Formats: sequence, C-alpha cells, structure tokens
Amino acid sequence: MSDTARSAGFWKRNQLKIAPWAFLAPGAIMFLLYVLIPIVQSVWISFHDWDGLGDKVWIGLGNYVELLDDDTFYVALKNNLIWLALYLLAIPMGLATALFLNQTVWGIRLYKSLFFFPFVISQVVVGLMFTWFYAPDFGLFSQLIKWLTGTEIAVLADERFVTLGIIVAGLWPQTAYCMILYLTGLNNLNPEQIEAARMDNARGWRLLWHVILPQLAPATFIAMVVTVIGALRSFDLVSIMTAGGPYGSSQVLSYFMYEQALSEYGYRMGYGAAIAVVLFLIMMVFITLFIVRMIAQERNR
Amino acid sequence: MAEVSLSKVTKEFGAVSVIKGIDLQIADGEFCVFVGPSGCGKSTLLRMVAGLEEISSGALRIGGRDMTQVGPSDRGVAMVFQSYALYPHMTVAENIGFGLRMTGHDKAEIAKRTSAAAKMLQLDHLLDRKPGQLSGGQRQRVAIGRAIVRNPDVFLFDEPLSNLDAALRVQMRGEISRLHQDLGATMIYVTHDQVEAMTMADKIVVLSAGHIEQVGSPLELYHRPRNLFVAGFIGSPKMNFLTVEARPAPGGAEVTLPGGAVVTLAGQIAVAGQMTLGLRPEHASATGVGDAVLEGTVKLAEHLGSETLFFVALSDGSEIAVKADGLASERPGDRMRVGVPARACHLFDAAGQALINGDLTR
Amino acid sequence: MFPTPIQKASPAARIGYQVLLPVALMIWLIPLIGVAVTSLRPASDLAAGNYFGIPSGLAFENYAAVFRDSPIGWYILNSFKVTVPTVIGAVALSCLTGFALAVYGFRANLWVFFAFVAGNFIPFQILMVPVRDMTLRAGMYDTTLGLVLFHIAFQTGFCTLFMRNFIKGLPFALIESARVEGVSEWRIFRHIVLPLMRPAIAALSVLVFTFVWNDYFWATVLVQGQHAMPVTAGLYSLNGQWVAAWHLVSAGSIVAALPPVLMFFLMQRHFIAGLTLGATKG
Repeated sequence: MSDTARSAGFWKRNQLKIAPWAFLAPGAIMFLLYVLIPIVQSVWISFHDWDGLGDKVWIGLGNYVELLDDDTFYVALKNNLIWLALYLLAIPMGLATALFLNQTVWGIRLYKSLFFFPFVISQVVVGLMFTWFYAPDFGLFSQLIKWLTGTEIAVLADERFVTLGIIVAGLWPQTAYCMILYLTGLNNLNPEQIEAARMDNARGWRLLWHVILPQLAPATFIAMVVTVIGALRSFDLVSIMTAGGPYGSSQVLSYFMYEQALSEYGYRMGYGAAIAVVLFLIMMVFITLFIVRMIAQERNR
Repeated sequence: MAEVSLSKVTKEFGAVSVIKGIDLQIADGEFCVFVGPSGCGKSTLLRMVAGLEEISSGALRIGGRDMTQVGPSDRGVAMVFQSYALYPHMTVAENIGFGLRMTGHDKAEIAKRTSAAAKMLQLDHLLDRKPGQLSGGQRQRVAIGRAIVRNPDVFLFDEPLSNLDAALRVQMRGEISRLHQDLGATMIYVTHDQVEAMTMADKIVVLSAGHIEQVGSPLELYHRPRNLFVAGFIGSPKMNFLTVEARPAPGGAEVTLPGGAVVTLAGQIAVAGQMTLGLRPEHASATGVGDAVLEGTVKLAEHLGSETLFFVALSDGSEIAVKADGLASERPGDRMRVGVPARACHLFDAAGQALINGDLTR
Repeated sequence: MFPTPIQKASPAARIGYQVLLPVALMIWLIPLIGVAVTSLRPASDLAAGNYFGIPSGLAFENYAAVFRDSPIGWYILNSFKVTVPTVIGAVALSCLTGFALAVYGFRANLWVFFAFVAGNFIPFQILMVPVRDMTLRAGMYDTTLGLVLFHIAFQTGFCTLFMRNFIKGLPFALIESARVEGVSEWRIFRHIVLPLMRPAIAALSVLVFTFVWNDYFWATVLVQGQHAMPVTAGLYSLNGQWVAAWHLVSAGSIVAALPPVLMFFLMQRHFIAGLTLGATKG
C-alpha cells in the first residue's frame, strides 16, 4: 500500500519529466526500428558481398570500387541530374498555373480541383497513362508528332528521348502539387501590401517580382523541398514505363539499386546497398540544407 | 490564511537572468499588483508563483507552507490568463467545471459550485454556450469563474484586461475589485497599465529589469517615489524631469532652475551638484502661481475638455508639461509663465535616487 | 488580390478567360481523358484501328471484364487492408509524438523532431534491404501486416511534423491553465488537445490514405504473391498480361485510381490544408 502511495507521489512529482518520453515512445520506437536503424544497417551491408540469404562476406570498399567502373552507374547519375534540373520546372509551371487560376469566376473551385487531379492519382496509373500517350501507332502524342513532322517517334523506345518522356510524365502531377502550394500562398497574401504597391505604381511583372514573390517565399521553399525530393525518388515511373530501358538508357539510381538488389539479375544486396548509400548521400546534401533553414525558422519563432 | 512570501527568488533562462532576487511579503487577503514595463519580468514572477515556471533559487511560501518544489495544482492557486485560455470545444459550464471533473469531484458538487460561480458572475444564462459565441467581457468572466470554483487560496491574474476595449476594461476593473471584496482572498494581479495598478491595488510592486524598484500603496508610490524610475512610471501624464543645479543651504536645498530662477526645497542634501528635479504636470501652474517661475513658449496645447495639457519649451531647450484648466486659452507660440510650488517638487541625485520627496499634505 | 481580378478587365478579356479555362483544362487532362475514353471503348474499335474517333458504343463491359477476368477486386481489398490500418496507426502514433514535441521543452526536443523530419525525406532505397530482411525474418514477408507496419513507421515521420506544428499553433495557455487546475498530462492530452486536433486528424487521414494507397515501391519489395498484393503492384502485373489490351489496362487504371480520387473530392478542404501545411506564414 505504502509503495503505491509513494509511486503515485513519484509520478506526480516527476510527471513533467517522464510524460514527454511516454508520449514519444511508441512512435519513436517504430521510427527507430523501421527508418533510423535500417539506414545504419544499409551502410554496413554496403561493405559486404551478400545475396540476402547466405553469410555476408566483408569486402570493404569493394562495392564502391566496382560502382566506379560501372557504366550504368554513370548513366543513372547523369539521368538523376537531368531529372533534378528539369523537375524544377514544375515550380514556375505551378506558379503560372496558380496565377492563371487565381480568379473568382463561376465554377473556379471545380477548375482548381480538376487541375490538381493528376497529383491524387497513383504514379503507376500516371505511368500507364503516359505509356499509352506515347505508344507508337495509336498513342495520342505520337500521332500528334507524326501529324506535325511527318516522322514517327517512339518516345519510350528511343534512347534520346526516353528520359525526357518519363520526366514529362512526372512533371504532370508535380506541377499540380506546386500549383496547389502557390494557390494557397496567393490566397493568404496581405491585400494591403498589394494595394500599397499598386498605389506606388507597381504592376504586372514588377508587382509579381518585388511584392508577390517575396510573400510567396514559404510556398516556394516547400515546393523546392518536395520537388527535389520527388526528382531523386523517381522510381515508380521509371519502373512502370521503361524498367530502365532501352538498354539501360533511362536508368536512375533508385531503380538501378532495386534492379541490382532484387531482380532477375540476381540478388546483389551489398552492391544495391552501396548504390543506395550514394543516393542517400546525394539526398542528404539537400536534406541538410532544408533542415538548416527549418532550424533558422524555428529559432525565429 | 494564505499570505504569500518570496525570499531571494531568482530565475535564469540559460545564461540570462530574468528575475534577480525578489523579496516580497503579500498579506492574506491583500490585492497586490505587479506593474512594470514589458520585459520587466512581472509575468515570469507571477508564473513562478503559479508553478508554471521553475524557481531557479530562493523560496516561495504560500500560507506558511514551502511551495518552491510543489507542482502548480497543489499550490492552492488559480490563474486567469491574458488570453483567457478557455477550452473552445467545451460549453461555459464545462469550462468552469473541467478542473473539478478532472480532479475527481462528484457531479452534484461540480454542478453546485458551477452554478454558484455563474450566479456571482452573471453567467447563468450563458452556461450552454461555447466560448466562440461569447463577447470579450463574457469570456473574461468565464475565465474568472473557472478560477472561483476551485476555491483557491490565491488568485493570480496575468494581464486579464489587456484584450478588452477601453470601456469594458473600466467596467471589469470594478468587477474584479468587487470580487476581491466579496471573496476576501489573496490576489496577485499583473499589468503594465499603471492606471489599473493605481485603481485596484492595496499594494503595488513596481518591477524593472527583474528587480523590485519599490513596494507600497498606490498613494505612497505617487507621493513618495523612491527613485526616478518609479516617479516616471506612476502617474499620468508622466512627471516632468528638469536638469538642475542644487546645493545645501540653510533651511533646505537651494535649486537653480533652467532660466536661472531659484527655489528652496524643505529637506537636507549633503553635497552640491547637478541633479534632477521632478514636478508632476498637475502640480505645475499655468498661471505662474508658485515659489518660482519658469519662462517658456507653448509648443503644443491638448484640449481635453475637462483640462488642458500644455507642452512648454523652456529657455534651455528642455520641455515641461503643464496641466491647466479646461478653459485655458493659450495657444502654440504664446509665452507662458509656469509656477513651481516648492512643496510639490522631488529632487533626485545623479544616480536617480530620491533625496527629497515633496509632500503636498504638509 | 493578385493577379488583378478579371472582373476589372475589359469584357473581351473576361469572355476570353471564360473560354480559355475549359480549353486549358482539356489540354491539361488529355492523358486522363484519353484513358477514360479508351476504358469505355469496345475492344472491336481497337481492333479496327479506331483509337481516337467516336467510340462505336459505350463498353461498360470492359469494367465488368476487368473484375471478372482478373483479381483486381482482390487487389483492391488488399489495398484497403494495408491503407486503413496504416492511417489509423500513423495518425494515432503521431498524435502522441506531436503532442510530446509540441508541449514539452526537454533538451533533445529539436533533435528528435528533426530526426523525424529528415527521416521523412530519405530515399526508400536506403531502407529497402534491411527492412525487407527484417520483414522476412519476422515472417511477415508477403503479408499485408508487413506492409502496414512499415508504412505506419515511415508515415509517422511526416505525420509528426504535421501534428507538432498544429499543436504548436494552439494557445499554450490552454495547457497551462489545465495544469494549474491539477489535470494530469494524459488527461490534458485526452480531453483538451485531442478534441482540438480534429481538423489535423482529418487532413492527415486523407493524405496518408492517398500516399499509402498510391505506394508502389514497397508493394513490390515486401509482397510477391497475389494474395497480399495491393492494387498498384497488381495493376502493373496485369499490365504485363494484358499486352495491347488497352481498353482493359485503361479500365483497370481508372478503377485503381478511384478510391483516392473519391477521397480527395469528398475531403478536399482537409486534403489541401494538409498538403499546403507551411506554405503560408503563420
């Protein structure tokens, strides 16, 4: 009896110190188990030769050395950079669409929803739609090209265009995402600041550049974050539309890793993990930038 | 009995010292107001009494018991927040009874106490409303009701009227004073508004930069400010400060005013030198009546109807505010002779400490 | 408002805008419209080379065929079995973690918070090998439970970011006031904070539903057989079987896309509130 009384007193006295950890524990343990620890394990595995079943054989930097000699790795790396550069177009395109739709006319809400639509759809479905769109003979796009130029291009089978074709498919939902971020931003502009700027004779582009865009900075930041992350994560579309082909020309690191670790070419877990570590390090550059900025914001609160 | 006593209480946030050693006694049933400019630590001090901020060092006693390490719920205090902190998803009745429900009181008891508090605050007809449907004054009353039902020994108010408009503020000021008379409980009230402090307090504690400048009744602070800070903070419009030369003289202190006039103050000073003379606008005379006269030019006249406030530029470039009759007719640019009554003057040394406090009751 | 409201422009510009809107929308949605039309095109049209013309009839039997001749109904059921528990689990866990990080100023607070945020941005591939291995060893490979547990853990990162910022936006005096009244921390969470989190819970539920429903990567990594396969991975494998049967692929795509689309239209306000978190100042 006295024990429970004492423990109740203990709880009461130390409630504020214990409570945060009690609230944190379930989520944090799951996150630790499934996210944080596996990152470390992947790094560890990347130093081994491993087929996923047998014993791991320590080969040090062997996987990384092999990677440096692997042509596909460079193709994937180059394609990742192209993805990154072109994917960022989603931001100005999203802004343009948002500016176009930021009116109050009849039915505009429905228009906004429908413009946003591509983002809600699974990338698998987006990939299938664009495969159909690009299909030679009967795809809408190839018909259009044929009609315009007289020659037919099989986008997804052409090493020159395949990555571009996939990126266009990715830009479709990504532009929608950026658009909705900007629409929300535009909705929350400070109307008095705009009126003041108009009284100061700013209009059109200059108003947009000097007054509107600075106010949209938080939306731009988030659009940057999600677009950069999205570009480097690009897996679904590549897998659905080309599986890296033709002849590995549309490879990206995320798919290359998957293919090496888990496909008909055999289970090369160690090699896959090494590719994943490279991708992770590239992404960490961006993640660190984002976090540094978020910390700065957090301090300013 | 619930007197509150603080001894050598300090608070540090990291390396920053916010409360720098407070010693204070608040008697049972007293209405004590902490007043000071923003950032002076008055809210922090109140929150330390509430138990919402830890006390870095020193001791807090409430009703004779050491409460320094005790959690907020066991200190016998109730607090009214500046934002009222009403739970938006609960009705007025639920808001008032929530603390009782959470601490295991039975339903009948909760209902009884809630309705008693509601009656006292004229909230009876609003018990089923949500906070979103109430006016500012009504929300304020609900917040007070939530404190009352708990029968606390000490009520804590953190700038409770700052979100109300001017008229409502005057009304609620009266209601809180009346509540204090009815309940007879100890109350500690934080405000930055010296008018609130003057009108409500038994005892005012003037704080600045984490330490106490002066403790006393409203009239004590008004008539006998201990230093320049308190002199300037209490009273509206603000006390005038003039840079003067003063020297000891037989029968008092001889003060040379800007423009050369000399006035002798009753009281002793030890050494001569440059000092500060304090004179409240309401004690200066726009018609030149007094023991000395300051010559100047009217720069600005504020006509408030019942009175007129003149801002007069003196020969040395300093400015003095003078409160005059509502019918006074001087206009900007006119010459004015400002009378200085010696017994209303305060003299402060170079460090800002009061050497002589004028005494109008003499 | 920016740009200048079209109502203030000339009548010609106004009419031009009203005409441009539907045209722009049509162009924007061409891939979708094309697939939707194809999904209703009779197979005979495709055989006859009528890919773009007016369909010779509305072939709702394409949809019937998809359900009859393929396990897509089963795949959809699997998707629900993965998605619904994930939504519940991730939202519940993040209510707790978000509360902990928003309300308590303990020393490691910001570090824990940024670990959640950063984890949310990492590439899935860095997790793939160990998570697959762990799921295998726990006997949960090829089960919906294996997927659910991973998704809960991963989505908790994003959800915690969201919940923490939402709770930070609530007046802290509510919590302090309850503390002065002697309410325990758990009851503060349960009776004061949780009821006020309803909009955040709604927003996160629709978002997580969409994210998890649309997941394809983990569905291929953690599941192999039909019996646990969600509709995204299922659709891809069907795509392999229905070579050139574009009317079936289209119908299957529409079916697979439908649940999140419905979710979006029903809960649009919450969906956008969740997605645009932080896109405005304060």
